[in-house]
Amino acid sequence: MSEEKNVLSRRSVIKGAAVGGAALAAGSTLSAGSADAATKLKGSTVKWTTRGGGATGDAIAKAVNDAFTKKTGAKVVAQQVNSDDFQNNFAQIMQGSPDDAFGWMAGYRSNHFGEMGLLADLTREIGHLKAGLPAAAIKGATSPVSKKPYILPTTYYPWGLHYRKSMVKDIGMNPENIGNWDDFIKMATLTQKKGLVGYSLGAKGGWEAMGTFDILNARVNGYKYHIDLLNGRAKWTDARTKETFKYFAQLIPFMNTNFMDISWDGMRDLLLQKKTGAMMMGSWFANDFKAKSQADYDDLWVVPFPEINPKFGVDTIDAPLDGISVAANGKNVSGGKALAEFWASPEGIAAAVKAGDTNIYVSKSFDTSAYDAFNKQKLAVLAAASNIMFFLDRDARGDFAGPVVGPAIQSFLQKPADINKILENVQAQWDALPKQ
Amino acid sequence: MTTAATVHKKRSRRSLSKTDRFTLATFIGIPTLLQVILLWVPAVVTIILSFTYWNGVRLKDIHWAGIQNYKNIFFNNPLFYQALKNNGIWLLFFILIATPLGILLAYQIDRGIKGHAFYESIYYLPVVLSLAVIGIIWNFMLQPGGFVQGLMGRDIGNAISIWGNPKINTWVILGIASWRHIGYIMLLYLSGLKSVDPALKEAAAIDGATDWQIFRKIILPTMQPVNIIIVVITLIESLRAFDLVYIIYGSPTIFPLLNLLVFQNFAGQGISMKGAAYAVILLVLCIVPIITYLRISFKEDLK
Repeated sequence: MSEEKNVLSRRSVIKGAAVGGAALAAGSTLSAGSADAATKLKGSTVKWTTRGGGATGDAIAKAVNDAFTKKTGAKVVAQQVNSDDFQNNFAQIMQGSPDDAFGWMAGYRSNHFGEMGLLADLTREIGHLKAGLPAAAIKGATSPVSKKPYILPTTYYPWGLHYRKSMVKDIGMNPENIGNWDDFIKMATLTQKKGLVGYSLGAKGGWEAMGTFDILNARVNGYKYHIDLLNGRAKWTDARTKETFKYFAQLIPFMNTNFMDISWDGMRDLLLQKKTGAMMMGSWFANDFKAKSQADYDDLWVVPFPEINPKFGVDTIDAPLDGISVAANGKNVSGGKALAEFWASPEGIAAAVKAGDTNIYVSKSFDTSAYDAFNKQKLAVLAAASNIMFFLDRDARGDFAGPVVGPAIQSFLQKPADINKILENVQAQWDALPKQ
Repeated sequence: MTTAATVHKKRSRRSLSKTDRFTLATFIGIPTLLQVILLWVPAVVTIILSFTYWNGVRLKDIHWAGIQNYKNIFFNNPLFYQALKNNGIWLLFFILIATPLGILLAYQIDRGIKGHAFYESIYYLPVVLSLAVIGIIWNFMLQPGGFVQGLMGRDIGNAISIWGNPKINTWVILGIASWRHIGYIMLLYLSGLKSVDPALKEAAAIDGATDWQIFRKIILPTMQPVNIIIVVITLIESLRAFDLVYIIYGSPTIFPLLNLLVFQNFAGQGISMKGAAYAVILLVLCIVPIITYLRISFKEDLK
């Protein structure tokens, strides 16, 4: 089962949104041809789960769900869950009594569980929304094995180097971009000289460090090598993989010494509190900066991770695609599908944006002309790349990414000298995996 | 010492009436049935599943794997040996430090040492709270940005690495777990101590025995049934440690434990029957010493 068939065509997604300002598409509302579905909806209860997001997440959910209730007369009961917990227990939750609809992730996570029968087939709903979605987004949401979509694509975001413009200006460097590896090391060194953390990392959750590994591997060895590595066609013990880890090891002296104690939210807090120079992260947390103050949000900036190998430049980026999925075992599956379709429709998107959502939507109806500077920069970062990856734990199989690669990278961070032994072990564990 | 007549009477009294038999059957039968369904059947199924490949969702996806999962664990997984080491350290710490402290405390409280009410409340407190709650409290206090770090004037950027530092996290975790374990052992031992005849102790004291001799020669032997429970509990609690470490870390990388490895491979996104194999290994590690110990203890009893 190869997830890469999804990732090869993300370029059009970028183009679609980066061109921006596209004319508002003919509004694709909930399909007209569902008259009796509409009567079944009215008065029924649909359950919604918000995956993390704090107070802003709840506010956004409330806005969209209320709009849905106003439109269909169905009641929505919403709850917020801790994102990592929901993810780690997903199989159990879906087999138990899950909520009907929830935000989820495209790639291995929706394809695998959809093919297992735990997520509802959303072919019809995507059909209704087809006019307003780029073809690449629809392809990204569709399983390459069963050819069915188990998720309605909504948002995506770049993984990039985030920093505060004011801090970079303070050390005398260009706050608009960090060009290549030497500039990047210089920035980290100067920041560290000031008594702050040069390059922050919070590796406690096991997946945060994958962002750094992904981009380093893509910069050093290229996009094709990275995807081959994650799918067993290249070896972890190869000299090229070891080269990536050599670069990774150069970053360790600049990291906060307590990186095994904090997770991604600790990284965000470090930047929020001006304790760190830069960090490699997805841009989803920008809402938290805006919530703190407009000045903080204006200070936040993101650039593509600097170039290392001129052959590859900055042509690759992790840009995970998120969306809405429906639980096959929910109590109200048809209601869940209707709610999911609403969330992914221009109406739902408009309600979410109005309530403070700063994410980038793939929908063609999404008007980026009024985008603020940071969001325009996010689009620029996305547009700079021609190869899109979904992130290691969405591009590789679930019994390998989390249980094997995550701990391996954590072990490497604690004992960089053991890298050869660690890589041999990762390769051995890949070889021992049952064929899917 | 009974005459033939009383023996005969005893025998007829022993044959049970219909209602007696029904009551016995229900009160023994229903719990036994529940035990079998909820404990034994899943245990046997887990053992069987450990010899298969399966991702836990659809029955048709089960494939036979022989001992592959076990081979994978023993030869390909360094975390397994770290987990064995951590469980071993946990066991030794409990056996040599925590349990004896609990017993000592129980003995002193029973004698009415000064301030015993104070000791009781301090050590009872964590027993009342679940380990998960204790984990949340200590995680909150010791993590970067946490309360204790704040007291030391350290914020997230320069906080001392406690949970992530392999040199000190073992002892911090064991300290927290011991705090609860000491109270637990103290509770069990205190209730047993109440049943020791004080006349025995006084007689020994009059004969000139020291405190330590009284404890070793009189109290310990009298407390034999409680001793058995204490040893078994110490062994089980250290081998199946999970709640505290899971709440703090969520995954087995930083402080691996056997139960954490079971959980990581048995739940969530990476379900594979390696989790079942880990569970079987844990079962064997627990059962063999316990059965051996019980056989030795009861053999002495029967003699």
